[in-house]
Amino acid sequence: MAKCDLSIELDHPERIYVGGDKITGTLHVLADADVKCKGLEVTSGWRTHGRGNIARGTAETLTLFVGEWTAGQREAYRFELEVADWPPSYHGNYINVDHYVDARAKIPWAFDPKASKEFVMRPVSGPDPGDAQVATAVGGCIGYGLVALVLGLMVVAFGFLIVTFVVNPFAGLIAGGIVIPLVGFFAAKKLLPKWLLGNVHAELLTPQVAPGDRIRARLAFQPKRRFTINSISAQLTGTEVCVSGSGSNRTTHRNTFFTDRHELEGQSTLQAGDRKEFNLDFPIPGDVPYSFDLADNDLNWTIELRVDIPRWPDWTQSLKLLVGPAGDPIEQPQPAPSHAALDPVAGPAGAVGAAAAGAGAAAPPQDEITFVETASHLWEARYDAEQVDLLVEAVTGMTFEIDTFIERRLLYSGEEDPHVYDDGYAVWARHSDPPLPLVLYIPHELADEFEQAGRDLWRCRGTIVGWDHQHRRLQIKVLVR
Amino acid sequence: MTEFAKTSASASEPNLHPRGQEIDCDSAPSDALQPASRWSAANLFRNPFGELTRRERAELAVVPVAEIVAAIGESPPGKPAAGNQTPSEPAGSEPVAGDVPITFRPWSAYQMIGECGRGKTTRMLAIGKAFPSASYVYLPEDQPCPTIPAGEPLLIDEAQRLTWRVRRKVFASGTTLVLATHKDLSPALRRAGYTVTTEKIGLSLSVGKLTEILNRRIAASRRDPRQPVPRINDEDAETLIRRFGTDVRSIESYLYDIVQSQVNHHGEMRFID
Repeated sequence: MAKCDLSIELDHPERIYVGGDKITGTLHVLADADVKCKGLEVTSGWRTHGRGNIARGTAETLTLFVGEWTAGQREAYRFELEVADWPPSYHGNYINVDHYVDARAKIPWAFDPKASKEFVMRPVSGPDPGDAQVATAVGGCIGYGLVALVLGLMVVAFGFLIVTFVVNPFAGLIAGGIVIPLVGFFAAKKLLPKWLLGNVHAELLTPQVAPGDRIRARLAFQPKRRFTINSISAQLTGTEVCVSGSGSNRTTHRNTFFTDRHELEGQSTLQAGDRKEFNLDFPIPGDVPYSFDLADNDLNWTIELRVDIPRWPDWTQSLKLLVGPAGDPIEQPQPAPSHAALDPVAGPAGAVGAAAAGAGAAAPPQDEITFVETASHLWEARYDAEQVDLLVEAVTGMTFEIDTFIERRLLYSGEEDPHVYDDGYAVWARHSDPPLPLVLYIPHELADEFEQAGRDLWRCRGTIVGWDHQHRRLQIKVLVR
Repeated sequence: MTEFAKTSASASEPNLHPRGQEIDCDSAPSDALQPASRWSAANLFRNPFGELTRRERAELAVVPVAEIVAAIGESPPGKPAAGNQTPSEPAGSEPVAGDVPITFRPWSAYQMIGECGRGKTTRMLAIGKAFPSASYVYLPEDQPCPTIPAGEPLLIDEAQRLTWRVRRKVFASGTTLVLATHKDLSPALRRAGYTVTTEKIGLSLSVGKLTEILNRRIAASRRDPRQPVPRINDEDAETLIRRFGTDVRSIESYLYDIVQSQVNHHGEMRFID
């Protein structure tokens, strides 16, 4: 039973917020008993829900109160939080994205009371298109390269098959049963259409569009032979793709929610050498959802070009399209640390130099940057892998005095982990404040020292060597003083 | 021909997207733009049968943790009751289950053997939640073995994927183990000196248990705590068991689609027709 109840009241619950807006409201607290609160936090952010693994992001977190409430006490705390500027609110069949204000009271030795309130967010600009690798054209070298690759694979496969058959006929038969159908399927899918069509050039002229814009693409080929087609078409498709579970339980779910097929040419006979060129130009509706990629929850837009050939494998090519807000792309947020040494873009040469010099480099002057500052920046950015990489790259190789609390020893840290000392130990620990999770690589000589520390504060000297993305921990190689 | 598939993702309704370039931030949007509107009739804020976070799975698990713990640990007689522990607090020197302090026996292992979707991982997560001193490790397929931290107990999911070398290292530690596996590891455990308790998961599923599992998930997705939510009754659960056997994952997947198909209806939600 929680010792207090929280409820969130938004000033404008029905407002459609725009990315980067401020959302304001009041957090009400009703204490059921005398309670000590280590921190009353409100956070603005987003979460997915539905079929896919949950993805989440945080825009801003504020601590509104630290202290004590007495039984029956009612309090109201005003808040103003930044609204995340991406992704948009979205409700689909397999994927939902909602923006929230979440509140939590940290109560020692009791369950933390929580409250949550949704709101609608509509972005005015999307993520940097440079981040999205979109293939917009296929043809020419790629087309011929593909043919060469398939032919090469076929030669290798059959060579392997013959050798296997000679050495062990039974194994050869089994391998043949697998390899021949696979190669046959691949050849049918890729090579046979090209045998009729020749090299096909497909290009998306508008790789990025806003809802209501026009999509333009080009399709060109010169048939090598005379043949009949059922149709040449372009189909715009909107699909939700999400993944649930992990490892062997990983399942991909797809839901196509939008299709728009345009026929470029009906049933006809194409003549050998008669070049065909199609310029597609059609609108995308003004109320379609934007593309997004949120870890295991993606909303994809594609244009599938198809040459439908009777009694023959069809030629198909899928081009990925980005549908986003009409505004300018957001500039990628750069870390704005209080100290220049943490800025990986404009950081002083000393910082980068130290990073480049590796673990053996001399530590920079200690008045330049402290570990507490470093840990604070990483703690703030710990859920943003890109930001973390930039920060860690800037401080890798730096040596600090670090206050840690040991959490637990690792039974196995992976033999491939290059940071483990011979006969040394790897332990999970956390920094004192902020409680940034750490992996400490401890030399054998310091075993007694860290064992004696137990759960008390242990001060060590260590060099930052990297970041463990899986466990979101800063990796530190502890040095013998 | 433009065609929106029959789904709630039709752009005009719930996608919460602009219909024009004008943005009137303070205007009251239509019903369709209200996050609550999709689920208001059912008093839900999400589809209850969608994917959950690990923590939520652990919180909603219907698992006899006490039985598992009894096989690998004991409550010392005459010990004073300890207070509840929460994830936000550092673990004390001694694990507790509720108010009872537990001492885990070294060289004891509890292994759960069963097919996918029968609740092995859910059991592991529930134990992990009950004991902050525990460590949970999932071994991915065809990938290097991840870091294995010490834990009391150490929970290893998909333990049959432990390589011989790592397995030897872990089994040599003597740490209390809870293993979820598709393959019986008791011979190797016994050779290492462990006392092993084996439970075969998913051989049966009672109507009462399934009803509780599903209704917990619905309750966890309740929007307004003062209003009722739809409930799975015993007849529904019986029908589901007849159709899917003991595969709870398939049952939840089926119910996700059922709920989703009624998301914009304003009538009473029906799970089984």
